[in-house]
Amino acid sequence: MKGSRIGAWIAVIVGASYFIIPLLGTLEFSLRMRRGVYSIDAYASVFTDPQFRATFGYSMLMALLTIVFGMLLVVPTAYWVRLRVPRMRPIVEFITLLPLVIPAIVIVFGYLRMYNSSSVLPLTGNAMGTNILLVFSYITLSLPYVYRAVDTAMRAIDVRVLTEAAESLGASWTTIMFKCIFPNVMSGVLSGAFITLAIVMGEFTMAALLNRPAFGPYLQLVGANKAYEPSALAVIAFTITWLSMGLLNLISGARRGAPAR
Amino acid sequence: MSFLALNNIQKSFGPVQVVQNFNMNIEKGEFISFLGPSGCGKTTVLRMIAGFETPTGGTLYINGKDQRPLKPNQRNIGMVFQAYALFPNMTVYDNVAFGMKVAGAPKAETDSRVKEMLGLIKLDHLADRYPYQMSGGQQQRVALARALAVKPQVLLLDEPLSALDAKIRVSLREEIRAIQRQLGITTVFVTHDQEEALSISDRIVVMNAGKADQIGTPFEIYNTPATRFVASFVGTLNLIEAEVIDPASNCIRIGDQDITLKQSLASYNGGDKVSLALRPEAGSLSEGIKSDTALTGQVVSAHFLGSVIRTRMDVGGNVISFDMFNSPGVTPPVAGETVTLRFMAADLLVIRD
Repeated sequence: MKGSRIGAWIAVIVGASYFIIPLLGTLEFSLRMRRGVYSIDAYASVFTDPQFRATFGYSMLMALLTIVFGMLLVVPTAYWVRLRVPRMRPIVEFITLLPLVIPAIVIVFGYLRMYNSSSVLPLTGNAMGTNILLVFSYITLSLPYVYRAVDTAMRAIDVRVLTEAAESLGASWTTIMFKCIFPNVMSGVLSGAFITLAIVMGEFTMAALLNRPAFGPYLQLVGANKAYEPSALAVIAFTITWLSMGLLNLISGARRGAPAR
Repeated sequence: MSFLALNNIQKSFGPVQVVQNFNMNIEKGEFISFLGPSGCGKTTVLRMIAGFETPTGGTLYINGKDQRPLKPNQRNIGMVFQAYALFPNMTVYDNVAFGMKVAGAPKAETDSRVKEMLGLIKLDHLADRYPYQMSGGQQQRVALARALAVKPQVLLLDEPLSALDAKIRVSLREEIRAIQRQLGITTVFVTHDQEEALSISDRIVVMNAGKADQIGTPFEIYNTPATRFVASFVGTLNLIEAEVIDPASNCIRIGDQDITLKQSLASYNGGDKVSLALRPEAGSLSEGIKSDTALTGQVVSAHFLGSVIRTRMDVGGNVISFDMFNSPGVTPPVAGETVTLRFMAADLLVIRD
């Protein structure tokens, strides 16, 4: 008993060290920009860089749009599949998994062929069109995670009975969706949203090949040309991700104690 | 035309016909129970009334209006589900107010109606609770209040007591019946529990394999079952196989004992096989009981059930159960003992297959 507990602790320490030591190394390196002393010069350099603010703001906006439009696509789809065509579920699940096996570069080249300036729908012909295309591509990339998060949340409630109860009380389809279904799958929507945020903030291929000023290509650019700033950016990116995860845990923890509102 | 009229209603799922030519006329304010085993089609009929299923054939009228073209949210029907189906994100108050808000009722009217409904189910002190903070019985009462708040023309109850424990079931079914009487609302109640159906219904529809085997008052259903299925499903009826000896004198033979029935056997021929039904409480071993006929047989077993002693006896290959009230002076029969069961011939009913 005592031996197995020591073994478990050793496993935890080794596992934690595997993740923490490189991070500590990165953090430590990011603080050594000024020779001989620890400083936050690298962070100051990053935060004062107008490109950082521009790309970070741009990617945050893209993430927000991806979350909103992604949820408007995924929640009604998952709901409809559960309610009306449950036999289609394996097919829909397979389709949502495709972005995991089709490389982003293949998808983006497909976009470039389909929506170039000489096509019927020349989305790449202007910045707004390309931004729309980028949001679509982010929705595609996050689909495997978002669909599963929402579908799992739907499994926790009896979608069919709630729908029928609302219908018998005179509710229309939109009322059912926004008053009865969305609030009750909010935990899935939130976890999907945070995963989407993390994906969008770090995505490089789509943004670079569509030539958009996103945070992913900026990270790559800084990494290729500077020494300490990339480490600072990595720490910042980790912090953002952790904050997202922490927020997710906080919200889902609060939701375990209280219902969705 | 009746308030709720179902004429030749049919429903098929692919090649399987789950409801066959179902006919039912329900008057305003009646409490009707659909009783039957799982898969007999009772919930499907209910769902067709609600609009959740579309009939394959037949007509469905409520208050003279054809319901078939109407969607569920256009029918003004209140429904209570087995799984409560309260909206988890809403308080009790918001759940009950939901239908009225959807209908665009003024706030003051909604507030007054919600308070009235919560008063009716005696849960006005729990208006701010969420469903997860309440017991199953309380949740189901809220579901009932929610269904009634919109003043539906028909109330549908889909096995609303099945998920509750025995004690709550009894009290809640009495509460449902009292509220139904108070509001005078036409109600259709689906259950597979015969005691529930017998105790609260004006009339019962016993369903079997998609058809209504018998429609009648609880008294009629229990005492004069029309078919073998009704006889076996409602109560613990003895089914006895007999042979017609003389149709003219209503004489039948059970094993080697002849009995004259009160019921006419004019439609039978001598030698025909008939099924007879006898309630366990209709017979007694006591000589003092009012009886005009008797059967003699050997005791197979005697079980002490508290207030009664249930005895099983063999008569010509038929095992007949009967109940004796327990009292300190009663000696239970023992297995193998020859006993005479006395009863009124009128209690022995010929039933259809």
